[in-house]
Amino acid sequence: MERLRRTMMFVPGNNPGMLKDAGIYGADSVMFDLEDSVSLAEKDAARMLVMQALQTVDYGDTELVVRINGLETPFGRPDIFAMVKAGVNVIRLPKTETVDDVLETEAVIAEAEAYFNIPIKTTKMMAAIESAEGVLNAPAIAKASDRLIGIAIGAEDYVTNMKTHRYPDGAELSFARNMILHGARAAGIAAFDTVYSDVDNEAGFNHEVELIHELGFDGKSVINPRQIPLVNAIYAPTEKDVQNAKDVLNAIEEARIKGSGVIALNGKMVDKPVVARAQRTMMLAEASHLVDQEGNWHAE
Amino acid sequence: MNYSQQLKQLNLKELHYYKQWAALLTQEGIEGLPQVPVDVDGCLGIFEDQQLIATGAYQKNVLKYIAVDANYQGGKLFNDIISALINTLTQQGVFHFFVFTKPIYRQSFEFVGFKLLAQTSLAVLLEAGDASLQQFIAQVPRLENQSTATISAIVMNANPFTLGHRYLVTQATQKSDFVYVFVVSQDVSLFTTEERFKLVQQGLSDLPNVIVVQSGDYMVSYATFPSYFLPESQDIIEYQTALDAQLFKKIAAQLNIQQRFLGEEPFSKTTALYNQALKATLPPEITVEVIPRLKAATQTISATQVRKAIQNGTIETIHTFVPETTYQFIKQNQAILQARIQKGMQVDGN
Amino acid sequence: MEIKHTAIAGTLESSDIQIMLSKIEGPTEIELESAVEKQFGTQIRTLMQTILDQYGLTNVKIKAVDKGALDCTIKARLITVIQRATDKQNDPDWEVLG
Repeated sequence: MERLRRTMMFVPGNNPGMLKDAGIYGADSVMFDLEDSVSLAEKDAARMLVMQALQTVDYGDTELVVRINGLETPFGRPDIFAMVKAGVNVIRLPKTETVDDVLETEAVIAEAEAYFNIPIKTTKMMAAIESAEGVLNAPAIAKASDRLIGIAIGAEDYVTNMKTHRYPDGAELSFARNMILHGARAAGIAAFDTVYSDVDNEAGFNHEVELIHELGFDGKSVINPRQIPLVNAIYAPTEKDVQNAKDVLNAIEEARIKGSGVIALNGKMVDKPVVARAQRTMMLAEASHLVDQEGNWHAE
Repeated sequence: MNYSQQLKQLNLKELHYYKQWAALLTQEGIEGLPQVPVDVDGCLGIFEDQQLIATGAYQKNVLKYIAVDANYQGGKLFNDIISALINTLTQQGVFHFFVFTKPIYRQSFEFVGFKLLAQTSLAVLLEAGDASLQQFIAQVPRLENQSTATISAIVMNANPFTLGHRYLVTQATQKSDFVYVFVVSQDVSLFTTEERFKLVQQGLSDLPNVIVVQSGDYMVSYATFPSYFLPESQDIIEYQTALDAQLFKKIAAQLNIQQRFLGEEPFSKTTALYNQALKATLPPEITVEVIPRLKAATQTISATQVRKAIQNGTIETIHTFVPETTYQFIKQNQAILQARIQKGMQVDGN
Repeated sequence: MEIKHTAIAGTLESSDIQIMLSKIEGPTEIELESAVEKQFGTQIRTLMQTILDQYGLTNVKIKAVDKGALDCTIKARLITVIQRATDKQNDPDWEVLG
């Protein structure tokens, strides 16, 4: 069962104050950025700060992601080596356009793992797609490596590439979102939506989160801790969802006790996707503190 | 800085930015703001949304026009803007910085690593970085019997070295055991620092008790006394000269300098004000003696006249103003010097 | 190891430390300006000296302004300034880095 990744909080890598506090806000994942939020003159400094923070600060269960610089820059390769050595969970590639981008990066990660005597495939990857080319290649990119845990859309660069802006209704992102979602699902990995930068516009943010939740995205990048509970609330299952999930899981348990091979619920066969969804619903319910330890609904 | 704040370079030639900049500085009590073009090499601003909430600028290695909107978290924003200014300067390879500011901000600067150099009731001068006043003093050549000899000092730009300068020095050698001749290091004059220094050395080479030394950043420099090099209002000149004088006193104390000789100043208003500040500040620890200018026939010798003669191509008229070593240099390098003048180098002023 | 030129890293923002590193003739000097000098001054200096020893640096001057940095930040900033002073920003010494 894949872990929850409802929120991925973005933290600029060259800010010691933010780095040390990143784990306290309850984000499912934290993404330390070495790329666009760090000036050229400070790329080396950010790399060292993030490396030391990863090795020293206790981030609890939070998943640790780092966005590296592209391999076409002088920074990408030392970024990868530093982050692999520091034990990051996921390396996020910026501006992924082709399968080769993924494979090249994977090769450097493998090289670093070998160099530091870390078991191969320890470090996972995710790909950020930020251009038309990348969107069109999303299905192939998503299947390019078994290290990939998900793919994401990076809207700012994408809309620039598309010669438009971001608008409240999100029509300009509709195709991209759907391609990335379908690519992710076909490959069996997660799909992530982009940041919403107007931190004060709670209504606008909620509207966007409801949209991507409806589409089926696993989660969203956030740039401010205030956005985290808003996302979690929208991703929280309803009481009905939880009951349905429990019904499925109970049916499985019953079938196991009886030793029967086929699991049925209310006259229908219960197959893998249904089971996965039920398990996920319970996970969300627990994370949102909606059920007690026995799985009973107890939210106010 | 927090999530909603952004650091930007401020182009003060853009009216939009100049207005915001001037408004913030005025709000924070900084008066006498210059019009466009502002006398800075670079300016930075911290914005929250579209509002300018902190700013700082620099000229060469001197920080200036620092202001933080008191409605925001002052201490934190102050550190952010100073940090950003230092980062900008170090990226240009500058690792030694100065700041003039009001005495009430002294502590704020000390909290970010600046050390006090000089203080008057109106202003303070501080420095930070990889060089320091102590390092400068330590490298000034010492004399035998430093602590018991009578030692005097002269500070000169010597642009170029004339017989008038030499006269001043010989007067000093008659009244003290040793004379330190500090040549201004700042390289903004018609004759380069290297050229001026060499001509001073050559023009005084026959005098055994004269030590020629560079003034570094600490005497009549862009840092201590920028209005020596730039046009400024009288009150600014007054507070800067007071600080430069205070600083000289500190240096003199460590070198056992008891006397300072000045050339009388009929031509430059800035130098005249500077001499006044010295006379007011240096005694009683250091006596100040003003020596009347040397004349060649009936003309007062002045370096300004020499530079004008170079500009006009009439260097024979100033042959009697300068020692032979200076004259030969001018003769051999006339074309280069004239080229510098044509490219905009001033001959008036200092 | 020798450093090639003066360098600086870090900022004066809260939780950070600004470190300037330069070459000197005599033995290493560490100058620290910190609000927590009393409680942590010795610890900070020891940490810095340890890192200098790991890099084999002996004739350097450190001028540091501390604004409440954690050890991991001090370590990161010092390593960064050493790399900048030796022109190895994008070529870290992986063996020396802890």
